[in-house]
Amino acid sequence: MNAIRGIALSKSFQHYQVLKEVSIEVMQGECYALFGPNGAGKTTLLRIFATLHRPNSGTFEIMGMDGKRERTKVREAIFMIGHGSYLYDDLSVKENIQFAIGIRGWNPSDAEIKKALDQVGIGRFARLRSRYLSAGMKKRLSIAKALLIRPKVLFLDEGYASLDEKGVGMMNECIREFTEAGATVLMTTHNRAVTAEVAHRVGVLTRSVLTEMTVNEMVEADALF
Amino acid sequence: MHFFRLIRWIAWKDLLSEYRNRENVSSMFFFALNVILIFSFSFSLDPDTIKEIMPGIIWVAFGFTAIIGLGKSFLIEVNNDCMEYFQTLPGPKGAIYLGKFLGNFLFMLMVEIILFPLFVLFFNLSILDQALPLLLVSSVATFGLSALGTLFSALTVQIRAREVMFPILLLPLSVPIFIGAVEATRGALSGDPFSMYSHWIELLTVFDVIFVVVSFWIFEFILDY
Amino acid sequence: MTATRFIGILRKYEKWFGIVALILISAGLYTGLVTSSADYFQGEVVRIMYVHVPFAQTAMLAYSTLFFCSIWYLWKRDAIVDNACHAAAGLALFFTAGGLITGAIWGKPTWNAWWVWDPRLTSFAIMFLTLVGYLMLRTFLDDVEKRATFAAILAIIGFIDLPIIHFSVEWWRSLHQPLSVSTRGVSIAPDMLVPFALMSFGVGILFTYMLMVRTQLLYLEHLLEAKQGRFLSEAEL
Repeated sequence: MNAIRGIALSKSFQHYQVLKEVSIEVMQGECYALFGPNGAGKTTLLRIFATLHRPNSGTFEIMGMDGKRERTKVREAIFMIGHGSYLYDDLSVKENIQFAIGIRGWNPSDAEIKKALDQVGIGRFARLRSRYLSAGMKKRLSIAKALLIRPKVLFLDEGYASLDEKGVGMMNECIREFTEAGATVLMTTHNRAVTAEVAHRVGVLTRSVLTEMTVNEMVEADALF
Repeated sequence: MHFFRLIRWIAWKDLLSEYRNRENVSSMFFFALNVILIFSFSFSLDPDTIKEIMPGIIWVAFGFTAIIGLGKSFLIEVNNDCMEYFQTLPGPKGAIYLGKFLGNFLFMLMVEIILFPLFVLFFNLSILDQALPLLLVSSVATFGLSALGTLFSALTVQIRAREVMFPILLLPLSVPIFIGAVEATRGALSGDPFSMYSHWIELLTVFDVIFVVVSFWIFEFILDY
Repeated sequence: MTATRFIGILRKYEKWFGIVALILISAGLYTGLVTSSADYFQGEVVRIMYVHVPFAQTAMLAYSTLFFCSIWYLWKRDAIVDNACHAAAGLALFFTAGGLITGAIWGKPTWNAWWVWDPRLTSFAIMFLTLVGYLMLRTFLDDVEKRATFAAILAIIGFIDLPIIHFSVEWWRSLHQPLSVSTRGVSIAPDMLVPFALMSFGVGILFTYMLMVRTQLLYLEHLLEAKQGRFLSEAEL
């Protein structure tokens, strides 16, 4: 079954057309890695699927639900880890998690929160105000949120950015955990070697042309774009 | 009920952050204090004049306070892109507005309650026997001001020149609040029977109801443009 | 309805509105300034009414248009409706300013004051400020959809506020300026009614004509902007 399906998506920002009729399909339980030069529109594509941008034309479906008419249902199924940390500086790590998940209508127990924080390696910072977190720790905190929310579709925008080596390994473990449980991951990345460990399929987006390839082809290619 | 829990979460988050950093309330308070200082040198202070201009001074000070405080209320949401997280939230967006509104209303009211004794102190007013009607007037007027202010804060926080745009949009449209608040305060301060100025409170209440309802409905579009 | 068809309809009918407006306004000005008699109380001064009242009415018409177009935009999210909003706001500002200026000129000889805090005047002044704020808000937003949506929200809030402002100022004024000057309208003699009606309809139709032209112009600007960004999808051509 298709988890993500975009058909002829176009998006332009005032003076600049970022996407022109891009189509993409991602199967359920798959980790799809999106490569491409800066400014190719990878993030924009992700943000369209995450219902943050409306496409100028084209349609998309998430888990079979129409991205335009069934936005609320789509939003229940997705979670995005992007450039923003979605944190409040004066709340502690734990309070931030309680808030972010609480406003989605679910209150995880202390044990569940602790388990998720330990899994991403920031368990001992639970009481620290998020103002004092480094960029990498903020990224880990976002992953902890995703682990608690368990979205059907997870979007990772530059998933490995600002993570250290251990963090990257932890991220890959989490991605594997997600896909093995039947969730779908769509990520943008620039790190071929690390991505090869988890990705099932690869797409390279250049000037609104999506070239699909296998993971082996990606690893062996001299240059992707 | 998820709707009411969502309101509570948002207000809880704002109150807790404010309790920890005290940025909003203290900046509002000290700004108002400065306004009072300037006013006390701008007018002659014989008792008759004071009685005449006092309601105006009080509400100009509160108006400036609102500009300082309410204008910043959504800054905390854009600093780490939390607005984006709200946008992808499956729940009802109006509840986010009501939560923010509730927090702002409480901050404003708190500052006003601290300021009233200072007016007594600096301008030799006697308001003790009129404390209840004054509290009622302040609450009703602040309610409307916060309702409109919260909406415009969300509207202007994401644009350039927000410090200028917020008062430019807020002040003209809150003219009925200032008229009603000044007239009702004048009535209360001069010890008139309540029935003589209760129609102003009715006017303010009508304003409050209309703008909370309209803002609640229209807030969805600010998040989901 | 596609934008192309909409533009087609505008282009087909716009000139008729222009011609009718020209005829009505010329006839109105001739009858108003030349053939109609001067007012018994106000003398020749009353003739500014033939400009002032139609301007004020048309300002209200323009803001109402802006209000309904804004709701329409939030409902359908058509780019061309946003262009119509933008056009209506600019014209509303123009007619509001015209109404305020002619009102002040009329007010000086009749009430011996350029300005009084009358409910109607105050509502118009606040409408003026809101429209200036509206156009400023538009210039400060780069994202096309965000700009259209936020502007629509402001227009709707401002429109809903107008009656409340009017009402509150009326109460306030009854307290502070107890009927020293009456700003209620003059009673209209029959031979004043003809130029008045001609001007009212003329300026109203002139507004419609300007709205049609300006909407097209803004839409073309919008397309040009897009084309500069090498964007012109087949549907819009």
